[in-house]
Amino acid sequence: MTRRTLLVGDNPFNNISHLSQERTRLREKATLLPERAADLIHLAVENGANGFMFSVSETTLSILKALKRRGALEGLSLYGIVPYAYEYVKLATQVGGISGLAKRVGGRIIGSGNLRGMAMGVVGFLNMNPLAIMKTYMTYEISRIRSAAGKEAKIDCILFHEVITDLALALKMEWLFKSYIGYMGNLGITPGFNTCNFAYLVSKFRDWEIDLSEVVIAAPFNKVGFQMAPCKEECEQALKVFSKPSVIAISIFAGGYLAPSDAIEYISALPKIKGVATGVSKERHAKETFEMLKKALK
Amino acid sequence: MAIIGVGKMGLVHAGILNVLPNVELVALCEKSSLIRSFSKKVFKGLEIVDDLKKLEGFKLDAVYVTTPIPSHFFVASAILENRISKNLFVEKTLAQTYEESKRLADLAQTHQSVTMVGYLRRFYVTFNKARELLQKAAIGRVEFFKAYAYSSDFLGLEKKTEMSSSRGGVLRDLGCHAIDLATWFFGDLEVNSAESKSNEQAADSVSFKVGGSQTGGEFDVSWCKKDYRMPEVGFSVTGSKGSLFVNDDQVKLESQDGKSLMWYRHDLNDNVPFWLGLPEYYREDLHFVKSVADATKAEPDFCSAMKVDKIIEDVVSGES
Repeated sequence: MTRRTLLVGDNPFNNISHLSQERTRLREKATLLPERAADLIHLAVENGANGFMFSVSETTLSILKALKRRGALEGLSLYGIVPYAYEYVKLATQVGGISGLAKRVGGRIIGSGNLRGMAMGVVGFLNMNPLAIMKTYMTYEISRIRSAAGKEAKIDCILFHEVITDLALALKMEWLFKSYIGYMGNLGITPGFNTCNFAYLVSKFRDWEIDLSEVVIAAPFNKVGFQMAPCKEECEQALKVFSKPSVIAISIFAGGYLAPSDAIEYISALPKIKGVATGVSKERHAKETFEMLKKALK
Repeated sequence: MAIIGVGKMGLVHAGILNVLPNVELVALCEKSSLIRSFSKKVFKGLEIVDDLKKLEGFKLDAVYVTTPIPSHFFVASAILENRISKNLFVEKTLAQTYEESKRLADLAQTHQSVTMVGYLRRFYVTFNKARELLQKAAIGRVEFFKAYAYSSDFLGLEKKTEMSSSRGGVLRDLGCHAIDLATWFFGDLEVNSAESKSNEQAADSVSFKVGGSQTGGEFDVSWCKKDYRMPEVGFSVTGSKGSLFVNDDQVKLESQDGKSLMWYRHDLNDNVPFWLGLPEYYREDLHFVKSVADATKAEPDFCSAMKVDKIIEDVVSGES
């Protein structure tokens, strides 16, 4: 029997709370230090976690380096989410919108010295070819992960951030989804999609004849329906069409709103769930949460 | 429908409009040749034009203006005067000055337009709950309020003057949300006094006091605030029978006898049919589209938004 995927999420390490920003201001600042985050991930792994889901940022890359130094990456599944939307939105604010952002990111890709990425990027930017630009960008982000975690690191999945997935869904960009799936397949990495519109995505992927078993979908699933658009019932219904588990449930505690026992009872009763991702900010959380998840999601 | 300006907000509105029932997005207008060239390959089936005049003849029911604030007056007035569309949604703030806002409001009235300005926080479930509580006099008569609008967008940046100025300054970029909510909660307000802390060209933080027929209050606005990863707006309101605190995430109600109630987004039916970035974008666009379809008044319209621009202008002139 395949073991469930139990991922440590990176929200607390990026100082994110989906309950309230006030909560992050009260949080112990040490959680933001890479060594401390690596300690928590290591402890979670000792208690049942088998992977790390993270937005690709300087913070999480530092955590990967810390994990690598202590040999804790061996066997650990890595699920990277790109782009780290917060960083890019903030950068766009500071450098003058999308044009300024594009120049800045282009500069970073060139500065990274990734020859393959640079070559593809030059062609892509000259022709304003969105697919070439997408591939260049993905190559750049994967190279950042490999550079931090080492070439031996197990990158199981790279997911589009929810802002990209949901915008592309809204704009019915079938071609983008299919190209991305094909490109990641060539790289031997499972393509993934983080979304707040799980039911809509499943419906569209079926219309577009995208094989749901070939991708990973990370979407909110929790007892109170938090961030489950359009509603909890439709998202639960959409799970039933999967032939094999390929859904990673996120926001299972609804940002800390739900008691762990209630949250885990709900998740463990759902069909076709491949695994879960949840953040931990204290030793006790790392230990107890993953112990409970391991037991409930056998 | 059409969108002028393919930046962050233009993309968000394009996405939402594309999933709203009975809405057809037909054209985008963008000045930058780089973005236009990219858009032509990404937005298949949409007309991508470089000039407002090229939108004439599309018989547009409504246009969204999501260009930088300094261009709002020129773009919005050209759309109305050239009859490109009768109905307009303009991202906040309505214009760069009160005078421009007033002229746009007058022009819209002449054309009997349905108008709306993108003060998104009116569509947050928390602020709606707070307004409902205030209207029900859950804390009695409102005596005083304190409002804040904080972000860390420019925290620690040494060379920020060019961008921060082009965004209209901290009041237009961030403070306008708190001002709009205050007028929504408490009615018309007038500026009593103001002070700011600045870098070389633009104010990083501004504090000011206001008074109105119903109540008085004070504002604190900063985009250099530590620990505000995301922009946040909040109010503490003191009433004759209790107090209320509300921000983007939660509402707390305390009565004089020490009893308290609290609501998070989770408790306030925050879901929408399609979630893009934040659920509020869907609710905002749905409200505007329905108002256009039914030819009814949308809120906040140009007249409401004009009041925000008046307060901002009074604060800025009060500082100087």
